[in-house]
Amino acid sequence: MPLGKRKVRFPHAQKPNRPTSSIPMTSAMNPSDSKARPGIPALFTQPPPIRDPLITETIDLQNATLEKCLPFLKGIHSTQKDFNDHGVPALQRDLHISYLYDALEDYPEGFVAMDASRPWIVYWALAGLAMMGEETTRFRERVITTLRPMQNPTGGFGGGHGQTSHLAGSYAAVLSLAMVGGEEAFGLVDRHAMWQWIGRLKQPDGGFRVCEGGEEDVRGAYCAMTLISLLDLPLTLAPGSQAREAGLESLTSGLPEYLSRCQTFEGGISGSPGSEAHGAYAFCALACLSILGPPEEIFNRHMDIPMLVSWLSARQSAPEGGLSGRTNKLVDGCYSHWVGGCWPLLESSLEGKPDSTEPPANSLFSREGLTRYILGCCQGNDGGLRDKPGKHVDSYHTCYVMAGLSAAQNHHYRTDSSIASNNFSSSFSWKSSPSRDPANVFSRGDRLEPMHPLYVIPHRAAEQMRLWSEAQPLFV
Amino acid sequence: MEGKYSTDPEWASVTPIDLDDGSSSGAMPLATIAYPAEYLEATSYLRAVMAANEMSERALSLTKDVISMNPAHYTVWIYRAKILFALDKDLNEELNWLNDVSLKYLKNYQIWHHRQVLLSSKAHFPTFPPKEADFLMEMFAQDSKNYHVWTYRHWLVRHFRLWDQPRELEDVEFLLKADVRNNSAWNHRYMLRFGPRDTSLPDAGMVNAGDLSTAPTEKGRLSIVDEDLIDGELKFAQEAILRAPENRSPWWYARGVLRAAGRGLAEWEGFVSGFVSEGAVKSSHAVEWLADVFAERAGKEAEAVRMLTMLKEEFDPIRKNYWDYRIRKLDQAVA
Repeated sequence: MPLGKRKVRFPHAQKPNRPTSSIPMTSAMNPSDSKARPGIPALFTQPPPIRDPLITETIDLQNATLEKCLPFLKGIHSTQKDFNDHGVPALQRDLHISYLYDALEDYPEGFVAMDASRPWIVYWALAGLAMMGEETTRFRERVITTLRPMQNPTGGFGGGHGQTSHLAGSYAAVLSLAMVGGEEAFGLVDRHAMWQWIGRLKQPDGGFRVCEGGEEDVRGAYCAMTLISLLDLPLTLAPGSQAREAGLESLTSGLPEYLSRCQTFEGGISGSPGSEAHGAYAFCALACLSILGPPEEIFNRHMDIPMLVSWLSARQSAPEGGLSGRTNKLVDGCYSHWVGGCWPLLESSLEGKPDSTEPPANSLFSREGLTRYILGCCQGNDGGLRDKPGKHVDSYHTCYVMAGLSAAQNHHYRTDSSIASNNFSSSFSWKSSPSRDPANVFSRGDRLEPMHPLYVIPHRAAEQMRLWSEAQPLFV
Repeated sequence: MEGKYSTDPEWASVTPIDLDDGSSSGAMPLATIAYPAEYLEATSYLRAVMAANEMSERALSLTKDVISMNPAHYTVWIYRAKILFALDKDLNEELNWLNDVSLKYLKNYQIWHHRQVLLSSKAHFPTFPPKEADFLMEMFAQDSKNYHVWTYRHWLVRHFRLWDQPRELEDVEFLLKADVRNNSAWNHRYMLRFGPRDTSLPDAGMVNAGDLSTAPTEKGRLSIVDEDLIDGELKFAQEAILRAPENRSPWWYARGVLRAAGRGLAEWEGFVSGFVSEGAVKSSHAVEWLADVFAERAGKEAEAVRMLTMLKEEFDPIRKNYWDYRIRKLDQAVA
């Protein structure tokens, strides 16, 4: 396909300095009065039962969001179509697929702010396509070509050529390589240099900096453990690492304790000790812990579980049904993954032993509410998914809203068998099966492929990369 | 290409390193960006001076140029910080410039790490520069819940030991007065009052955390309790609840306070019951509170179940599965 003729659709929300749309719903629709489509319970169309009279900025924003969501929740917005008996519009599969293919192509100069996030653009689109059941291996050559200049000889991938290696960029790069698969893709990663570099990021308090000279946070910890476990890197700290000099021995030393110190008095988990509990960091922390050990053991040892479950559960509210990232903040489609993705991990920790071949019978959140929010409120007219009505679609939201839908449609559970032969066996013991709950409100055609609950790529992609890495042991 | 740098004699000694976006290798790279010519040129010089680890005035001004075109370029910020220290630049001047950049790019977070790197220099900032608090309030006027700004503020408190500086609490109270639902401000208050202060130990969201000898349920429990402080904080939370009873923040703050003191939820039973009279429930959080109080009290499990059922059926039905789970746990405990 010639460069100039490609059809390009731009994920506008990624543009810097874009003023957020604040156009109110047109009065013609008068959302609070108009009747909802049949099949939709009142829970999802009526304001919450208790509303305080005191108005503050938080409430103004919540009310504005509610007003924008209501016509979509009621299934009466003119842009919605193909409703099922539950009043839920169908997933516009073809539009989203073509949006994601376009998202892998060229961006105009307004996207210069994404220059340090190109591995992410690749990851978001490939992960989205994988969930849609598209074949991602066809991008193998192009992914390798794209990522090769971003890898630094001193270990890790930067956000682009000549940029400092970053754990987030390396995470997105390595997951993309896993999704295209194959010897050449796996072999692109300089695992020895990667191991040395991650050792330099390890901190005496157990956590990881995201890059040399960069900040330390829970995201860094999750990305580091993802790389270490998928690439089967040695756990010994490389000589000369600051953490080794401080007395730590392993890349995992002090890490669960560090994550434990990120739990806040609200029960949730913050990006670094002392900050506010936040959904995206909660996922990073819980997924990181689940890589380190079986959830039913490691969560109980390091987290106050009742408080954590309560906080996580409070992230969902009606009538929107979607999830918020923090107390008194707004619903946002991307938390469908960050918060929604915590549930399989927590549910697994509560279910106990991994001897069950049956998926868990109960969910602790409302899959119906999340499904309604995603399919009703998050689909853009021309493909792609979004934060909420009134916002533009972008690849980040498309990926993580879909991941949330996938989590709501599938059950994830641990089994006794793992493909990993030495460490991290529990990370590779997850299985998924489609939810057959009669209470499901989505249609058969809306089903997405399950993703690995820790690595957020298809199970097979994670397993193939791990198996390949185990077959090429590093001697250090 | 004729550009700002290629025509500048000051840069004549540098051979720029062109961008390799993968296109030269045959296969078409993904997610390419049609960079503006000025950006391409500036970043090609950036790669060159970074490869040489050059610490110079011209490199410093180059970083500013790249930041002006793409403040999300994390590498350039890290390089800039290194140069500032290597050349022993006036960091107050840097902060002034940074203030403008921060207000212009409200969502950018590289800026805040950069600021922390500067302020962590004991040589330049042996004590807390009080203008910081003014600037942070300017930021909060734009976005009172900005996560990165609050994270930075927490770091400042610990680094400069500001827990008891009146200004910290004053700012929190100012923000809570403006919006009693600002959960970030509540979090900051908790850290000021109950956060760990022993800087020889790693920081934590709650005292007693991350120590394998203590159970997770003991997190947040103080070893020495100032009961007057506790009572004062409980009163503060109650006043906030009275202003807006359905606001989750002060309810959970109060739980944190009682937990710190090792006191149970039961002491609030009277206060909380006021929000749960028959026919006029004013707060779902009060119902939940009573459920927790009854769950702990022998013989009152049925009352706890009644409260949880009210939440499930009437006041918070989206969380039905969670309330059912709580009811199952109670049933198991009783059986």
